[in-house]
Amino acid sequence: MKQNNLMKKATPYLFILPWIIGFLVFTIGPLIFSLVMSFFDWPLTADPTFVGIGNYVKMFTSDKQFLKSLTISLKYAAIFVPLNMIIALFLAMLITQPVKGVKIFRTIYYIPTVISGVAVSILWGWILNGDYGVLNYLLSLIGIKGPKWLVDPAWALLAVIIASAFGVGSMMLIFYTDIKNIPIDVYEAAAIDGANPARQFFSITLPIITPTILFNLITSIISSFQQVTLVMLLTGGGPLKSTYFYGLYTYNNAFKHHKLGYASANAWVMFVIILCLTALVFKSSSAWVFYETEAGGTEKKKKRGGKK
Amino acid sequence: MKKRLAVLLALAMTGTMILSACGGKEEDGKTSDGKVKVRFASWDEAEDVDAQQEMVDKFNAEHDDIEVTLEAYGGEFDTKISAGMGSNDTPDVMYMWNYPAYYQGLEPLDSYIESEGADYKSNFYDTLWNYNSLDGETYGIPIGFTTHALFYNKDIFAEAGIEEPTNDWTWDDVIAASKTITEKCEGKKGFSFQMKPDPYDFEMYLWSNGTAYTDKEGNLDGNLNSDKAKEVFKMFQDMEKEGYAVATEKSGTDEFRSGNTAMYVYGSWSINTLKEDGVNFGVVDIPAFAGEGDSVSILSSSGISMSKDSKNKEAAWEFIKFWTSEEMNKERIGRELPVLHSVVESEGIMEQPEYTAFYTMLEQSADYTPASFIIESWSELSENLSLSFERVFNPSAMEDVSDVLDEAAEQ
Amino acid sequence: MKMSKTSKVIIYILLGLVAVYFLSPFVYMFFTAFKTEAEAIAYPPKLFPAKWLFENFVNAWKAQPFGTYLWNSILVTVGTTAGQILSCSLVAYGFARFNFKGKNILFMILLSTMMIPWDVTMIPQYMEFKMFGWINTLKPLIIPAWFGSAYYIFLMRQFLMGVPKDFEEAARIDGANSFQIYWKIFMPILKPSLILVGVLNMISVWNDYLGPLIFLQDRSKYTLALGLASFKGVHETQIIPMLCITIIMIIPPIIIFIIAQKYIVEGTSGSIK
Repeated sequence: MKQNNLMKKATPYLFILPWIIGFLVFTIGPLIFSLVMSFFDWPLTADPTFVGIGNYVKMFTSDKQFLKSLTISLKYAAIFVPLNMIIALFLAMLITQPVKGVKIFRTIYYIPTVISGVAVSILWGWILNGDYGVLNYLLSLIGIKGPKWLVDPAWALLAVIIASAFGVGSMMLIFYTDIKNIPIDVYEAAAIDGANPARQFFSITLPIITPTILFNLITSIISSFQQVTLVMLLTGGGPLKSTYFYGLYTYNNAFKHHKLGYASANAWVMFVIILCLTALVFKSSSAWVFYETEAGGTEKKKKRGGKK
Repeated sequence: MKKRLAVLLALAMTGTMILSACGGKEEDGKTSDGKVKVRFASWDEAEDVDAQQEMVDKFNAEHDDIEVTLEAYGGEFDTKISAGMGSNDTPDVMYMWNYPAYYQGLEPLDSYIESEGADYKSNFYDTLWNYNSLDGETYGIPIGFTTHALFYNKDIFAEAGIEEPTNDWTWDDVIAASKTITEKCEGKKGFSFQMKPDPYDFEMYLWSNGTAYTDKEGNLDGNLNSDKAKEVFKMFQDMEKEGYAVATEKSGTDEFRSGNTAMYVYGSWSINTLKEDGVNFGVVDIPAFAGEGDSVSILSSSGISMSKDSKNKEAAWEFIKFWTSEEMNKERIGRELPVLHSVVESEGIMEQPEYTAFYTMLEQSADYTPASFIIESWSELSENLSLSFERVFNPSAMEDVSDVLDEAAEQ
Repeated sequence: MKMSKTSKVIIYILLGLVAVYFLSPFVYMFFTAFKTEAEAIAYPPKLFPAKWLFENFVNAWKAQPFGTYLWNSILVTVGTTAGQILSCSLVAYGFARFNFKGKNILFMILLSTMMIPWDVTMIPQYMEFKMFGWINTLKPLIIPAWFGSAYYIFLMRQFLMGVPKDFEEAARIDGANSFQIYWKIFMPILKPSLILVGVLNMISVWNDYLGPLIFLQDRSKYTLALGLASFKGVHETQIIPMLCITIIMIIPPIIIFIIAQKYIVEGTSGSIK
């Protein structure tokens, strides 16, 4: 009996054991190492010297770029995260419609996600070139003088957002899978009650997929702060440093200026910011995310769908 | 709870040990059959790597006791070398250009060079050594270089009905020609330069006009913002403002290749592409500033270096010697400009019109030291300068040259 | 569900417009791959190549040992996908269906591991893998995947939280233990999300080039994505071969996606909730 009890207690840990091992072996070491590095002046080729919280002090007092880059990333996240989620959800709804040929559209929407990042950014460089770009050429055919996308700071952030919106396919697919998992009878019950499609969406689909919304929200906050590859290849942080994202700032400090300690400090500040944002989202989630395991069964949800 | 954590930790430790055991550690730089192993990292890409691999194979065939492995990192060379150096896993031998950033991880080569006798060193163009050494120590052996030169499109000059550029041109000639071309050839611009030039490259224009970013002590003020320097920036900005030059988003090669611009200043990197495209082009010396004597070019030098942590320095040097030999200089023609006097002569490089300008510029540029070799924190300064220059040349900013440079010099 | 004609028309218009938006860069890329370099950068741009250079693809493939790269890519992709599906579903099941001490803290730690940017942990990680003797092997790319990744664990946990609690109670009364419930009951009903994780992981691994770039050294170990990136040089980029390889590289993921979407739809959806 006692044996059994112990086994029962250990079961959950056994399930998460693979991750714990992976965390202890592959993750925690490098993580702690990078935290330690952040208290050192750690040039790439010479010996490190301990500077205490010097790196952090420098960041907040004398490095103007730190705040600028942080602002750019915050701005990008504020636009990109909601926009991307709305587009993804909209597309996911669109590709669940029971019309002929929808499979082909599903595949088409997914293609941009599959294209490798290096080629994508070169392609976008061509398309968005101000004087000799394809987009502005097409616009000129209909008599519009297009902006200098990658030259004019007023347009560059938008250009990055347009280019990154093409990767919406993964998020769309996640929403799609979740929506597809909603049993049809739930909708049928609602349809009998006379709920129109818009109503069905807001009172059935949306509440059921809230766990997935939470997932997409948190992961896209994280990824928008870590956006490096696209800006590095497309704009290089320009024009006039208007797309010098925080991720790029950290990357350049590490690999261009070879200040590993300082870059680690940058990274840990970003970590704390993302952590706070995530914690906030999680705190708020109890108000808007509905888990079946917590709600205690399907009855409640069906009712919500039917009667509201 | 505590007990369980302890068990978990123990498990993890065992896991780590098993994993590291099955990796099978390498013995100190030796292969299984007892040969000395030398890792060699290059930045070449795609087909060029095949040619390199053949040469590496040749070296290996000639040496029973050494095995060189080629690691081609392409455009990500710097990330890869940084990662390697940061993790104490630098390749034994590597290509090198950015000595100020990496020299602390490199082996000084002077004693090796001396042991080869005086002729070994003197066969190289002298200027190249300046760019492969720092504080009087040599950290790399030149394998290639490029200076910059003025490329021009012969067809466009014919279309506009004006004389082609010569080695004696000054910027006034460039400006006059650009005006004519822009007016006469629809949709074409006379000249192009980079909107966001690499500060390292741009310093050559200041040199040509008798100034520099900094003095020997590294002071920017009075140099970067001297009247002579401002004159240079003003000239380019005016050309752009008045519409007969275009500031390009990238290097300017694409605009030149597609025949949208008639002239630009660039290194020898684009020659092969231009030939493949069938562009009818010529190359002459960089134009001079009127009354300032010969024009000067920056040098982009490729060298080959040894890691200071290499365990097989002798084998590494053996390979470096092979890689910098006459034979290899000949082998690389078409990809790199040869760096040995003897090879330039025997292969008749100077008779090929597209190459001569680069060697003239090399000789004219002997006594200049780029700011990157003088200023300690160049990579950060370079980033700031780059922003300042962009503020001058970006058409949506076009800020006043004098203000921007004064501000930049205060950094 | 029935749909009126007007709403069908509206849906088709929307589907079409979005498709144009998503497809046009790809179409442009596709046609450009058959051009000469000079044509590709010409201005004003033309959509169709003057002459269709099919040999561009052959030349691109021959420019590097892409056969070897393809094999390595397949190894890494299959190896990680199998690992991720198994480990992530196990761990996610643990987090979603049990209450245990330290659960919230552990879960927060799990999420945190996504938040530290790669650039600063890369160097210590490199040193660790070097200690294991894994540098220049495919091991650092494959083995960690068998211990789960925070992203997919989080995703599967969200799906699992959506399954009603009474679901496993019935099974428990029948005397099945937790692992049997996980394996016999949850794995089948989770098929759509397992496939989703598989597809997502496959794409990201297939296209990942930073990992291979850092941990691999010579060409015999390179993956397709790394080969693709090496068309980009320090000064010049060989754009046409790059586009050709990009197009070739798209084919396998698209085929897998087409197969996978059938299973995502045909999952035992109706019976879960």
